[in-house]
Amino acid sequence: MIATAVCLLAPPALAVLGSFKPANMLYDADPLPVRPTLANYRVAITDFPIGQLIGSTFVVAAGVMTLQLAVATLAAYAIVRFRTRAGNLLLLGGTAAILVPAQALLVPQFLMISHLGWLNSYTGLIVPQLSGAGVALVLLRQHVRDIPASLIEAAVLDGASSWRTLRHVVLPLLRPALAAVGTLVFINTWNEYLWPLIATPGGSPGTIQTGLALFLNAEGANPGPLLAAATVSALPVLIGYLFTARRVTGAFMHSGIG
Amino acid sequence: MSERARHWPYLAPLLAALLIWVYGPLAGTVVLSFLRWNLTSGPAAFAGLANYRALPLSLAIALWKRPGRAASGYRCLLFIPLVLAPVATAISWQFALNPLQGIVHTMSAAVGVPAPNLLGDPRTALWIIDLITSGKMIALNILLFGAALGAIDPCALEAARIEGATETQVTWHVVIPQVRRTIAALGMLTAVYGGQWSFTSIAVLTQGGPLNSTDNIYYLIYTYGFTYFDIGRAAAASAGTSP
Repeated sequence: MIATAVCLLAPPALAVLGSFKPANMLYDADPLPVRPTLANYRVAITDFPIGQLIGSTFVVAAGVMTLQLAVATLAAYAIVRFRTRAGNLLLLGGTAAILVPAQALLVPQFLMISHLGWLNSYTGLIVPQLSGAGVALVLLRQHVRDIPASLIEAAVLDGASSWRTLRHVVLPLLRPALAAVGTLVFINTWNEYLWPLIATPGGSPGTIQTGLALFLNAEGANPGPLLAAATVSALPVLIGYLFTARRVTGAFMHSGIG
Repeated sequence: MSERARHWPYLAPLLAALLIWVYGPLAGTVVLSFLRWNLTSGPAAFAGLANYRALPLSLAIALWKRPGRAASGYRCLLFIPLVLAPVATAISWQFALNPLQGIVHTMSAAVGVPAPNLLGDPRTALWIIDLITSGKMIALNILLFGAALGAIDPCALEAARIEGATETQVTWHVVIPQVRRTIAALGMLTAVYGGQWSFTSIAVLTQGGPLNSTDNIYYLIYTYGFTYFDIGRAAAASAGTSP
């Protein structure tokens, strides 16, 4: 068990430690930075629009998260509440969509957004990533199903419309699940490399992953600042994950997958 | 509005999203692939996949049988590869494996052998890509196995132990039969995701090289479509990936 963890986590750990080393000591045998310095971070911030990249990646990740949660919550509610054949078919279609590899959709999606004039825009970065909404649907449907039917029936007896029941009964109970699934979608979008690479051939609005890859090509010979930039790019997600780890695992525990 | 029609406002947004952004493009891929389908003349495409399944299952069972602080801390650590930005991960591996200066160089120097160029050698490059991808796979599998194991009634284990079953017997005869469906489902998920998730590592670290040794079908689609701008051929390769 420990060997697995060491083997998989050693390179990232070395990279974080290395980012604090001065350039001439970067490859010293001692993995710890003996004379820690922030010089690499200074270079990374001045040579590399890291603040701007983090800002635009945040917009994209938040946009994808909001859209996916919205469409998946509405559908999950209707599937559980009305139990119609259309709902079941949609659940099946959403589950099957999880298995379709993103690369299989790449070419037509690219042609679509270029016809729509969405290349190099936030719209083009965000809207096509709705294709990942299947996971959110499967996870949220399970949580909606866990809500006691008596609560919903009580609201219906009180004369509440289906929309009011959703807003005032289902949504408040669903909040922890929405937070967990939202975190998952946010992290996945933050880490997405392929779609931004395709959708922004002009390199703007740049996301942190494609920016980092460009920085790698430009500064390959200068690894210190590169390691610093890589550390900064991973940090927001890592911190977010550590705070929500239990909720995210909990969402899967309830998913009934398997 | 009739009771039957009332579900449409709720279902329509997701339905539209899936039709426009998943099933439409999927159909498009199939159609485009007929425009030109001499993929057979291309380089051999394969998804470099090791068998990731046995390890996460044994880890997940071990973690689940002994709950406590150490287990949850360890689980937290194992999930890090799953959430760590893939480009940053690739950069860190490149740093560690640099044959001229990295940690591999230092270690080989200490033993007195010349440092291997693990990413530059066609015989080892694919193994490195596999190793990085399996880090993520192990995390995902443990997460989902953990979910399946959580549903097992602990009383069944207690009963088996009281009757004198050894821990190995408990694992094989009580735990495994109950998660068999999950094992099958995860096998499929691993096969589907493994090739896809290696994409970033391949794009950043090797670009399919050396000598096409780390090329896989997903990277091939990308190079055909967006480096050579041969959309028909890219679509033909894509159509081959859909289960």
